Order: sequence, then C-alpha cells, then structure tokens
Amino acid sequence: MQPDTSAIPIDPCKHCGSGAPVDVHFCPRCDRILTLGRHGDYFTFFGLRRRLRLDVKDLEQRFRALSRLFHPDYFHNATPTERLASLERSSYLNDAFRTLRDPMARLEYLLKLEGFTPKESHDSTTKVPQGLLEEVFGLNEELEAIQDMRAEGASASEIALRLSAARRPVEANLDRHEEQLHALMSEHDACLEGGDAEGRQSALSRLRTLLLERTYLMNLLATVRRETGAAEAAAS
Amino acid sequence: MSKVVGIDLGTTNSLVAFVKDGAPFVIADESGDTLLPSIVSVDGHDIAHVGREAQRRLLTDASRTVYSVKRFMGRGIEDVKGEEHWFPFRVSGEAGGVVRVHLDGRELTPPEISAFILRELKRRAEAFFAREGDIDPEVAAAVITVPAYFNDAQRTATRDAGRLAGLEVLRIINEPTAACLAYGLDRRREGVIAVYDFGGGTFDISILRVQEGVFQVLSTNGDTHLGGDDIDRLLVQLVTDDVGLDPAARPDAVQAVRKAVIQAKWDLSEFEETHIEVADLPGRSEPYRRRLTRAEFESLIAPIVARTMEPCRRALEDAGLKASQVDEAVLVGGSTRIPMVRREVERTFGRAPHTDLNPDEVVAIGAAVQADILVSGRREMLLLDVTPLSLGIETMGGVVSKIILRNSTIPASGSEMFTTFVDSQTAVDIHILQGEREMAPDNRSLGRFKLRGIPPMPAGLPRIQVRFQIDANGILSVSAHELRTGIAQTIEVKPSYGLTDEEVERMLIESFEHAQEDVDARLLIEVRNEAETIIAATEKTLRRPDFVEIAASRLTRPELALIQAALADLKQSMGVPDRNVIQVKAAALNQATEHLAEVMMNWSVQAALAGRTADDVAAKGR
Repeated sequence: MQPDTSAIPIDPCKHCGSGAPVDVHFCPRCDRILTLGRHGDYFTFFGLRRRLRLDVKDLEQRFRALSRLFHPDYFHNATPTERLASLERSSYLNDAFRTLRDPMARLEYLLKLEGFTPKESHDSTTKVPQGLLEEVFGLNEELEAIQDMRAEGASASEIALRLSAARRPVEANLDRHEEQLHALMSEHDACLEGGDAEGRQSALSRLRTLLLERTYLMNLLATVRRETGAAEAAAS
Repeated sequence: MSKVVGIDLGTTNSLVAFVKDGAPFVIADESGDTLLPSIVSVDGHDIAHVGREAQRRLLTDASRTVYSVKRFMGRGIEDVKGEEHWFPFRVSGEAGGVVRVHLDGRELTPPEISAFILRELKRRAEAFFAREGDIDPEVAAAVITVPAYFNDAQRTATRDAGRLAGLEVLRIINEPTAACLAYGLDRRREGVIAVYDFGGGTFDISILRVQEGVFQVLSTNGDTHLGGDDIDRLLVQLVTDDVGLDPAARPDAVQAVRKAVIQAKWDLSEFEETHIEVADLPGRSEPYRRRLTRAEFESLIAPIVARTMEPCRRALEDAGLKASQVDEAVLVGGSTRIPMVRREVERTFGRAPHTDLNPDEVVAIGAAVQADILVSGRREMLLLDVTPLSLGIETMGGVVSKIILRNSTIPASGSEMFTTFVDSQTAVDIHILQGEREMAPDNRSLGRFKLRGIPPMPAGLPRIQVRFQIDANGILSVSAHELRTGIAQTIEVKPSYGLTDEEVERMLIESFEHAQEDVDARLLIEVRNEAETIIAATEKTLRRPDFVEIAASRLTRPELALIQAALADLKQSMGVPDRNVIQVKAAALNQATEHLAEVMMNWSVQAALAGRTADDVAAKGR
C-alpha cells in the first residue's frame, strides 16, 4: 500500500503563518524550523518508505544529517518558539532512530502503525501463543521433573546440567523464529515494492504471530537461564 | 559581546577555559595557576576564601573550611552517612531533603558553596580578559561540566550553583564527553573511543562513536561516589590507625595527615617508594615518618581500582561492543596518573591509553569547545550525549514503570497516560524516579509532582497525558494535558534533593549582599600561592630517593644548609599576613635553590644519556 498522497495535510508555520506539508522540517517560505505539531511517523520523518529491511548505515547517515539540522546547540540564540521546535524535533528524531535502528523494535512499530497491535499488552507475555502450546507443555513437564530432583536432594551441578539441556530446544526454536521473521520481512518489502497490498497484509499478519511467539520464547528462555544461573551459583 | 567560558567544576580542582580564534586554552590566575582548588573557607570576618588560601586554612581552621563539596551536590543526608566524620565540617539535613553544610554558624547548601568557586572562576576569567585589554571582559554565561553518571538532582544542583554565581548556564555537559571533544579537536579521527574518567570524587566511563564530526555517546556508566578522595581516605586511615588518632576529635590533625598522604600518593606515580611525613601530630614529640612502597600502595588501592572495571564492562555491553572493538582509550582525571590505573585500563581495552593532553585540563578545554560551538553556531562538530539513568514513575504496588531508558540519546521524551480513581477527583500525585531497579524505593527519587485542575469527571474517564522531556543538559521537565478537554494541567514540583525556584531566588538576593572584595587580601593570597609553588618544588626535590646521592656528589654542605634554612624560613612566614615578608623570603629561597635546580637538570640529562630511566634512578636510591 502506498502512503496516501491525495491530500497532504498542511501545518501552519508559527513564524510567517504560511503552511508546510507534514514532515517537512523547515518552513518553505521563511526557512525557520517548524514545531513538530501534527506529523506522520518515524519512517516519513526520515524520508523512508515503510520497509522492514533497512540499510542501517544509511539510517545512521540520515540520523547524523538531521541531528545537524535540529540540534538545540544551533538554536541557542533563536526565538523561544524555534528553541522549542528544535527540542521537540530532536527528541522525536532520537526516539525514531532508536526504534528504527533495531530490527525487532522497527517491526513492532510498523505493526502498530498498520493496526496490528495485540489487544492487551500483557496478553502477549502471559497467554501462551497457540503455536507454542506443545513446546511449553513439554518444558513445563521437564521443569517439574527437575523440581522433583531437587526435592530428592540431587546435586546442584546435576540440576544445572539438566536445566541447560532443557533450554536447548527452546533456543533452537528461537533461532528458527528469527530466520522466519527475516524471510517474512523480505517478503513484506517485496510486496511493498510490487504494490501487492494483499500480500503485504498477509505478511504483516504472520509477522505479528511470529513476533508474539518470539517474545514469549525470549521470556521463557530468560526464566530458564535465571534458574540455571542460580543452580550454577549453588554448585560452585 | 560578553564572553562564554567553559568550566570544569571538579571535586578537587576547578578550571575555566576559553576558545579564542579557534584555539582553546585554560585561563590562569595572576600567579600563573590554572587549577583552583575546590575549597571554600570562611574566616571570622565573614569573608569567604576560595582556592589556595582556603586550602591553607584547611590546616589552620579546618572546621570552617569545606572541600569536596561536589560529593554532596544533589544529595540527601542519608547518602553521606558513614563518611561525614572524615570531613572536618559538619553536615546535616532532613531525611529526603538537601544536605546542609555548617560553616561558621551558617548552614549552606552545596550549590551555595559551589557558587563561591564559580564566582572565583568568573572573576579569574574577567580579570584575564581585562588584562588582555578586551573592551568587554564580562563573563555572563558558561558551559559547566558534570560527571556523566550524575542524576537529574545533581545536574540541577550544578545549574543552580551557576545561577547563584551570576552565570547563565548555557549547557551542562558530561565530563568524559567534554574530554573527547578536546581530543577530537586536533585529531579528527573516526572510530570508537572509550573515555575513562577517574577524578577526585567520581568515576565515569563513556563509549563514543565519532563519525563525520558527530560525537555520539553510545553508553555511559560510572559511580558518582568513587574517586581519589577514597584513596586518600584509605591512606589517612593507615596513618591514624598507626598513631592511634581519633579523626573525629582532631579535624586539624586529620587535614595535616591528608595533605601528607596526598603528597605521598603523587610521589608514587613517579617513584617506586616514598615517605609519608607529618611534622607534628597530637601526642607525638617526634615528626611522623612512614615508608610507603609502590607495591604496598597498589595492594592497598587495588579494591578501589577494581571497582572501576565493572562499570567499564557494563558500558561496553550497553554499547553492544567488545573491548577489542574500541579504537582508542582516553584518560581523564588526576587519578589516572597512578601507574596501576593506567595498567588496568590498558589491560581492559587492550591498548595503551592516550595521555597526551593534561588529564587535569582536558575537561575544561572540552567545555570551552562546546561553549564556542553554542556561541558561534558552527556545525562541523556536534555532541550527542545520552541520559545515564532510566527515568520512570512509581505505579501501583511501588513498582517502577520506565518511560525513558538509560543511554537514550538526549534530548529525549516519553509520555504516560494517567486517570483518576475516584469520581470528581481533580488532582493526581506522580512520583518520578531515576535508576535501574524494579522497586521504587531502590531508585533515586527525583521529586513528587502534583497534577492539578483535572476537570471533575467520573473515575477513570479523564485521560491525562503526562509528557517527560529530558533536554540536552540531561535535565527533566514535565508537562501534562487532559486529552478529553484539552486543558493543560498545572504541575507543582517538589524536588526531592533539590532547591525550589523560590529558594534559589532567595539565595541569589542574599549572595549579592555578601558580594564584597578585599584587594589587599587578594594580593596576599597571590603572593602566598607563588611561595607555595616554590616550597612544593623544593620539597619534592629533597624527597627524591636519590637525593642523598646527588647531594653528596654535587652540593656543598653549606649550600644544602642554606637551602634548608631558607625553606624553613619561608614556610614559617606563610602564616604571617604580610605579603612583603613572604615575598622577600620566597625570593631568598629562589636564590638559594638556583644552583640546585641547575644540578638537578644536569643530573636528569646525564641519567638520560646513560640510558637509565627515571624508574631505574628511583630504584637505585632505594
């Protein structure tokens, strides 16, 4: 889907009163920095299309160039309105860069932009995603078995060994998810280039599922790792 | 146009620097001194002394003299428990409030004391510009540096100190970043730089990427309560334990010991061994003298040096880099003169650190460079710093919800939605915290904000958006809007460890009433400063491990006796409040040591020719 360009919203320039299209950073008439006001999104701010596979070097270069335009250092003698505009634009730029630089944060952000947000944020961390039910079930059984071992007085090093064994399939699954995510991101970008709106929606929907599963797996892994760490500490 | 200077407001020493025609330099006082000891002393006539004179008064009037006040900036009394008895002055404060320092019947806040130091630097710079024949020597604004790991309260306290000193603080910048700017000037290299900043009271590590003139801080870490002060305290304890001295009972004696151990610490950066010497200590007829080898010193301070390594590791991790990816390491702060510290940095980053700029001056130079960027608007260099600590608010059950994560590039912003819990509720309390811990009490409380003027509505209906903005100084501001009505809310701030605007205003008025200067007193101080420099240089020579060898072969007995007599004479006259007397005695010592200086020069030249290093020379004297 192409961004809608039929009606470009206009934001007023607080200095000369003339208008400027959203995501133009400086007033076309008086050349002053514009207050952030209404604006598009992180992608348009950087002058980028909504691609998921970005060239990070190019992004960094854009970030540095825009920093050189907005930074409060250069507006120290300007009017209060310009100073505020510089502060807002710099903050927004920094937030945008932080998000777009990281592929997963970028994906999460795009899903939100395109309306693919999970209903409740805690759903994604507490409810077991459909595709992982079997795996989580197996891991829970294993963890319980380890719990029993501990109750029966197994040595800490034995428990640590068993825990890291239990971790391996989760790690492998996480790797598979990463791979699939990257493949799907490329698919999404291809649809974007080719103007295939339907394909793009389908890719995004699958990306959302994978991303939720990935988040769940990461949390799961963190728990097992914590346990392993505790067992190893007790062993030494 | 009035001038904008760069100021390094340090724990031990403070400096002021300026950029003229693109070249930065540190401004010296009338006697050529660039370092201003960060010490403030009040005498019986309600006159405040700053710098060398205050440093001398540390030995004669310890209870009315304050040093290392930076350790107290933006802190509460509970933060300094357990160390206050090492300081000769008394501190107090209410729980959860600002620390107050007792100074001759007055209770001053740390920003007020720091303002004395800043005023002196402002005066020093203005005197310099006046000497240069500048038409407008006034200094009205400054860039002031702070440790990178300073929290919001500590930064705000620094800005308040500037205001109290009559300086508009254009920017607060981080010390390691400033140092990097100073280095960036003449090399213009690209790559990853680690700045290891170990000063008098704080330790900072920053990892930067320099590319196309943009100095971007990737991560920062540190400890705002770890520095040379801690090393000094260990050494003081060594001596007080040795002689059975109760530090709380004899603040003057502790200061004499402190002076002696600092000298010994400096010596050990150059020599393999030295002596801690204190002329007279309570309950002793003999002067105190204790041998201290570098090995002994290193095993004593090893735990302190080790404490700097964990922040280095974390900073690298946060930057997503390995130590081997660091292209250059830069050393800042006086404590990096210690050979053991240099060795550890080299081991950690796998490369020899840069030491070509004076570690005492590099931060002030960087501040001046930043001041120049701000004033000139030149865009070839740009500094992008980060906020060192995460910002969050307390939510139900005392858990912290993070809004701006640590190491976010600043300016940064974040927002959070609030609502009401009871019908027609018109105010909401917000508790703001800084830190990485999960639970609110484990973090730094920045303040409590009261959101007022919410239109009465059923519970849960108002949608109040609170926006948190961290500016380029790393200082927070908060604003709020009720989204349904669009009404902007008023926010009342009660800073936890800071001053309210009204308090700063009041202090500002009071400080004007005390602004008076005594020209005679100043001239006396300058003469004393010069004399002290000569004394220090002479004593350093006499203390060299190989001095006996040198004296035996190159100096006559009467010559040596003359030097010692002139030295003792001048030291005795230092307490006399007559600048002519001191000047005469100083000239006498200068004359007496003229030949000695020549001898020492030849000696080191010959040693160098013979291929012996300074270390060999020192070792031989053992």
